[in-house]
Amino acid sequence: MSDQIIFEDVSKFYGEVLGVNRITLSIPPGITTLVGPNGSGKTTLMNLMTGLIQPSRGRLSVLGLTPADATEFFSAVGYCAQFDSFPRNITGWQFVYDSLMLYGMEKAMAADFTVEALDRVQLGEAAGRRIAGYSKGMRQKIRLAQSIAHHPRVLVLDEPLNGLDPMARAESMALFEDLGRQGMHVIISSHILDEVDRISDRVILITGGYLIAEGDIHQVRQEVHEKPMQVLIRCDRPEVLASRMFSVNHCVEARLHADGKGVFLRTSELDQFYSMLNGIAAEGLIKIDSVAPADDDANAIYQYLIGTEGSAS
Amino acid sequence: MAVYKRSYRAYEGPVTSPAERILVLARYAWAEAWASKITIALFILCLVPCLISLVGIYAANNPLVRSLINGKASELINVDAGFFLKVLSGQCWLALVLLSWVAPRVITFDLADSALPILLSHPISRFGYLFGKFLALFATLSIVTWIPCLGLFIYQGYTSTLPWMAGNLRIAFGILAGSFIWIILLSILGLALSAWVKWRVVATGVIFAAVFIPAGVGAIASAVLRTRWGFLLNIPYMITLVWQRLLGAPEHFNTDNFLPNGSIACMLTLACLVCFAMLNQRIRAREVVRG
Amino acid sequence: MASSMATMRERLSQAPWGLWWIQGYRLTRIELRRNLFSWRAAWIYFLAFVPTFILLIHLVVDRHSGNSISEDTSILAGIVQLYYIRLGVFFGCLGIFSRLIRGEMIERSIHFYLLSPVRRELQLLAKFAAGSIAAILLFASAILANFVLVYVGFGAAGSDYIFNGPGLGQMESYLAIIVLACLGYGAVFLLLSMMFRNPTPAAMLVLGWEAINPILPSLLQKLSVASYLRHLMPVQVGAEGIFALLTVKTEPVPAWQATLGLMALIAVVLFYSCLRIRKLEIRYTTD
Repeated sequence: MSDQIIFEDVSKFYGEVLGVNRITLSIPPGITTLVGPNGSGKTTLMNLMTGLIQPSRGRLSVLGLTPADATEFFSAVGYCAQFDSFPRNITGWQFVYDSLMLYGMEKAMAADFTVEALDRVQLGEAAGRRIAGYSKGMRQKIRLAQSIAHHPRVLVLDEPLNGLDPMARAESMALFEDLGRQGMHVIISSHILDEVDRISDRVILITGGYLIAEGDIHQVRQEVHEKPMQVLIRCDRPEVLASRMFSVNHCVEARLHADGKGVFLRTSELDQFYSMLNGIAAEGLIKIDSVAPADDDANAIYQYLIGTEGSAS
Repeated sequence: MAVYKRSYRAYEGPVTSPAERILVLARYAWAEAWASKITIALFILCLVPCLISLVGIYAANNPLVRSLINGKASELINVDAGFFLKVLSGQCWLALVLLSWVAPRVITFDLADSALPILLSHPISRFGYLFGKFLALFATLSIVTWIPCLGLFIYQGYTSTLPWMAGNLRIAFGILAGSFIWIILLSILGLALSAWVKWRVVATGVIFAAVFIPAGVGAIASAVLRTRWGFLLNIPYMITLVWQRLLGAPEHFNTDNFLPNGSIACMLTLACLVCFAMLNQRIRAREVVRG
Repeated sequence: MASSMATMRERLSQAPWGLWWIQGYRLTRIELRRNLFSWRAAWIYFLAFVPTFILLIHLVVDRHSGNSISEDTSILAGIVQLYYIRLGVFFGCLGIFSRLIRGEMIERSIHFYLLSPVRRELQLLAKFAAGSIAAILLFASAILANFVLVYVGFGAAGSDYIFNGPGLGQMESYLAIIVLACLGYGAVFLLLSMMFRNPTPAAMLVLGWEAINPILPSLLQKLSVASYLRHLMPVQVGAEGIFALLTVKTEPVPAWQATLGLMALIAVVLFYSCLRIRKLEIRYTTD
């Protein structure tokens, strides 16, 4: 059995409206972030992945399974959709428990799994209340609980941080990170790029229904040649470092850090840049505290590849 | 120390009167109602019987046509109160079909999408909101009921060789009054039921059910309890009696089931009051969700 | 041909029937709990039991004489044929079965079902089973109560009519009619609710079709639920005016043939519904 989520030339059209076009992808285990502006096709991609919609063209499989094999497929996949709606008149506990019962579990096991899932999203105390009375954050959590309750191998999360307060966001992020580290496929679409970026292994950029880039965040960043890399160097004499660096032609921009104890340098030749920096450090004239890439995160990649015409969501 | 730029000015210019604002809602509701192709299709369907009646009136008043249709057949197209009763009844029942499609469109979107708090946060009262919607429905139903019926009445007066119109003014009054009663009842019923169930899909069915189910229940009550008062639940029966009496057409129902005008008026008023109570309950700028 | 049959037999024998049975059973229970035992279902209780309430008043208030048994028998037949079949079961099933798929779409909760590890065909059949159980439970118990209330007021004459006369046979026929009506209308409305965003206009066309069906050619009559049920009625209703149209006598058909015909119609409609649900997509924005 494959351990990848595979899209082979997948297109989806809603009548004459393009959903996604000619997507070819292979997503390995780990945490993958789906990034793109509003209406770019992220939710379409997730709905295709989970069988809620069928491709107009092409094929896709999740761990070698297709939604036609409903029993196996949905035992392996959990989807926390962004639709903020629930079956009527049910409590949080019933919502999770009922869905587990459909997996053919014993009642006791379904109850245990329900308790476990509710505890993981810190919703144990409110489980007996009707979902209709939940706050937005609680509704988000109960959806998350339902999607992870059956211990899926693939977890698809559409805007999972929406409506959560900072504490709950941090808890959710820790949960996703934990699940990703255990070898689960976690596919997240979120517009809180700074937070998702910290835990993501891979990024998929999509706009207007077209795939723009995909892969390891750092690799994708390096592929964006037209935008020189930015590096933040914390040191005691940033202005001297900046002037030294400007003596070579691949350094195209320098900007002092606001606290005056660092400099942002932009270079089109990263390897040469680092070897020159090593030389300067060896000279001992400047004391370098730290060197870190400043723009190889999902946010920067989004800005460079998709631009500011739409905000990520 | 904070520095504030006091450049912001609230709007203090002229505003339209509250009555005019209601017309804005009516205009939008009208546009919403007619945005659907099905509304147009239903409207065309509603005009088909009128066209047939128009041909009937022409035939009835044309000596050549009458001479071609000999004997009893020519009596079939006598244009009198009975003829206009059939036309009015047909148009009014088609108006129910149109209403079941249109009424949910003008109100359920606001409720299902939780737009009501936004609308009512404007300087528009709940009554104004409902009245605007009511006007849209009233206008929509008018163009398939009394307007074409009166048009036929005028055409009959024009084509008739006899001084027909002056002697039959009661028919025109009956058409107008009968249509108004039906339109007002239907519009209030349509608004109330659509607001109550909130979902357009459900509302269409509920409007039909609200007219025909009580009629069935009334028929059962009349048959089982051997009483004519069960017919007070039968809106189709009551409104047909009203039209017959207003137009002065002969009553063709069983005389054992006679209902006095007062009881019919009370029942229709009661139905409207129940609808008002439902609207009062549903048309609010908030919704309590109990968890 | 033989090899494809063998393949199909092998696939059927390898299918997880046990799991499907558990899933179907549990889904039916969940649906029943959500749809039948909730306040929102109160109007269906009203539809089913309002004649019962009227008959109860009749029992308490009116005097019953032996002579009026035949009259009340006709009234009961009228209630079944003209109220339950034409209005009560029709609108009740429209509400119950439209809700199962279209209602979940409107409330944007159908995706929870589609994401469950249950085959879509099985989901549809479980929903149909839940709707049928709900409708049959309500309307059959109402018919039973009506039957008892009509004859209990006649005392010994009533019990004689039931146990020594045609009463029990009539009751069985009424129950069979109600069960078939619930299944027939249920299957039709379940399909309509998948085909149309607003199934009510289509349902009204079905109502009109059912009304004019007796005057249509016999081949077209086979495409109507009520036409099959009409042949099962134990007592013919003499109706006046517009209702006469609904009770026109057509060429007689044996009861078993009418039942099998309706079951075949239900099977065909459900089969097509199963095909449609496999292609069902979530597009809440357009619903």
